[in-house]
Amino acid sequence: MAFSGWLVAALAVGTVPVVLLGGWPGLAVWLALVVLAVVVDLVLAGSPRALRFAREVPPRMRLGESAPARLTVTNTGRRTVRGVLRDAWQPSAGAAPTRQSLRLPAREQRVITTTLTPTRRGERRAAHVTVRSFGPLRIAARQATTRVEGAVRVLPPFHARKHLPSRLARLRELDGRTSVMVRGQGTEFDSLREYVRGDDVRSLDWRATARRRDPAGGGVKLVVRTWRPERDRRVVLVVDAGRTSAARIADEPRIDTAFEASLLLGALATHAGDRVDLLIWDRRVRGRVQGATGADLLARMVDTMAVVEPELIEPDWSAVPGLVRQVTTHRALVVLLTSIDAPGAARGLLAALPQLTRTHAVVVASVTDPAVLEAAGERGDREQVYRAAAAERAVLDAERVASAIRQSGADVVRAAPAELPPALADHYLALKAAGRL
Amino acid sequence: MSTREAAVADAAQETTTPTVRRVLRRGILWVVMLVVVLLVAVLLTSMVRGSVQAGVPLAADNPAPGGAMALAEVLRDQGVDVFEAGSLDGVREAVDRADGPTTVLLWDIDLVLETEQHDDLLLLTDDLVVIEPTAFELQDLAPGIAQAGSTGGSFDADCDLPAVQAAETVTATGAAYRIVRDDVDATGCLGDGDRYALVRLERPSATVTVLGLGEALSNGVIETDGDAALALHLLGAHRTLVWYIPTFADLGPGGPTLAELTPPWVTPLAVMLLLTALGAMLWRGRRIGPVVVEDLPVVVRAGETMEGRARMYERSGDRLHALDTLRVGTLGRLARACGLPRTASVTEISDAVAALTGRDRGQVAGILIDAKPTTDAELMRLSDDLLRLEAEARERGRP
Repeated sequence: MAFSGWLVAALAVGTVPVVLLGGWPGLAVWLALVVLAVVVDLVLAGSPRALRFAREVPPRMRLGESAPARLTVTNTGRRTVRGVLRDAWQPSAGAAPTRQSLRLPAREQRVITTTLTPTRRGERRAAHVTVRSFGPLRIAARQATTRVEGAVRVLPPFHARKHLPSRLARLRELDGRTSVMVRGQGTEFDSLREYVRGDDVRSLDWRATARRRDPAGGGVKLVVRTWRPERDRRVVLVVDAGRTSAARIADEPRIDTAFEASLLLGALATHAGDRVDLLIWDRRVRGRVQGATGADLLARMVDTMAVVEPELIEPDWSAVPGLVRQVTTHRALVVLLTSIDAPGAARGLLAALPQLTRTHAVVVASVTDPAVLEAAGERGDREQVYRAAAAERAVLDAERVASAIRQSGADVVRAAPAELPPALADHYLALKAAGRL
Repeated sequence: MSTREAAVADAAQETTTPTVRRVLRRGILWVVMLVVVLLVAVLLTSMVRGSVQAGVPLAADNPAPGGAMALAEVLRDQGVDVFEAGSLDGVREAVDRADGPTTVLLWDIDLVLETEQHDDLLLLTDDLVVIEPTAFELQDLAPGIAQAGSTGGSFDADCDLPAVQAAETVTATGAAYRIVRDDVDATGCLGDGDRYALVRLERPSATVTVLGLGEALSNGVIETDGDAALALHLLGAHRTLVWYIPTFADLGPGGPTLAELTPPWVTPLAVMLLLTALGAMLWRGRRIGPVVVEDLPVVVRAGETMEGRARMYERSGDRLHALDTLRVGTLGRLARACGLPRTASVTEISDAVAALTGRDRGQVAGILIDAKPTTDAELMRLSDDLLRLEAEARERGRP
């Protein structure tokens, strides 16, 4: 049962008959009228319990986009239901409008559309539908809440997508280059072609040149060997979902930056013909994508990432080499997306690194806090000088951890949240160009 | 996303809002408990109120030390009919019922009676005992007698009144009175100079006894010396005693009440407005469905460690440590600017910077290594010097 503002208005108007009819009789008459109106309304209101609901929700959507969620309402009762309907979504689903007017005659159906604009990734749920059905006088209403569940998976936004075309172009440039810079352990012979000015003379294939001597005379056609970057390498992305990943840097949790970076690297690597596997890890596997390629890879990655939130526990690095071994026993590029700050906190990571670097190429990617770097340079007053000292201390600590990581044979990529995904992609391209995969 | 997935329409949907019947069934226990609590409260209140009402001092039914139940009971044992009256009508009724003369004890603690009522009272009885009367009562009941402050202590019998003679010594505190006119037939007893604690006045209609020592009748004091004898003699002179403590029932009809002055619709209007407010509460108070809960992720501000450490430095006032931290950072950057390897020692860096910037070696070494700040001002100056040196080195070091 619920009432509208009209009940208050009716009671307030009742002061007139009270004064005019002189006290208690006026009050009694008016109250009787109001009670009668309430009873009539309640009796004649369409039953909200007779409504049947069906949801039609997009199964997934990207954060930052809007999508309609449809709710089909069927009136199985004998009276028209008119009133207000609330489709109750979780607050961060960004449902609008939250209240919708409803007028549904008996044995009819309506579709109520709510626009969802989620503010957070993950599984956003709808719990129930509440209908407040007013009587013909619109004074009193019957109200019922019905459990109608629904969910939409909100995927990470992948803003770093904008860096992909330029990196793909760079990847294509690697193809067919003859420069020794391209050559390395892992580069593969691709084809022979005619020499053009600018090619490295060291890649001339004299034997092929001799064979290609033009029978019709003319000059000597020099032939060079071309190389293409190695293919079918493995890239294993390990994202740390432990306590340090919950920290918010420049209004983005570290884990979200790590997701962006791994999505960009995954997209790039799968285009380059490498096989990408993803592990999200703290003390247990929180998410895993294995054996997917092409467009399927990205879809599965975002789907896995969507529901993972960091937990306030210390990640167990000692198990990571074993996990990587489960994925592949061959040489792979292992990218650890974690945070590098204090030597004490990095002890577990540093202990596990040598095991990884023995067989794999390892890159440790971490977000740096631009606010810390800024604070180190600001020394306007006494308080700021102490802050600068603390910031400098943090930078030095991170530097120590980074050099320790480098000493154990891994590479370190550090950048501000917006720059980390392209920086990691560039590092991957550099490794590929150098044939170090 | 273009693909859409229709959720299955559930035929047996679960409505979570309870029906009226279920609400009633669940609420019945609470209603019963509320009723029980109310009943207990009403019962307790009435019991407490009963005992509180008996607390009037010198009332014949008050067993407290300030009451006079003991005296009334003893008088009853002696065969005196003791009537307790709360109004003049009660007195009249008691006097009518009694055969023979009556004693009336008047104890007007709330100063209720008016002059006419005093006059009526004088006509009703032959023997009136007035306890601690005020000037107004004296003027009506015992003209010629005036208040004379308070008195107290032990009084020896000093007049030939039978009650006083029987008592021999009376010990109590109370009011004192003085006989101010010579033309009245008054006897002063239990005196202290010309102030008396007991005055008997013979008037044409009745004998009026003014007793200033009301305390002598109370349960707590009556056993002292001859107080009991005095009280029993004064009040037990006749077969009937009317114990009259005037209450508000004696108040005459006053002016018009508030209800008579206001129009008849004022109270109903207030009720109506109250109901309107109640309606507004019901209107705004009912929310449309329960709140949907959601787990929010933990939010940790990244800079907190740094801020905490900064406050720690500041509170401990460890200037040298703070400055050294800044120096180590600056030295690392300067080494890079000068093209020195990572392994270069601090003195090497300091000398290289001095050579690069053209500054004095000692001065540069002072900024980078030696100087110890003792005040915050010095710390700030040194930190500014570090910044300046770094900027300079970077400027000169640029090819």
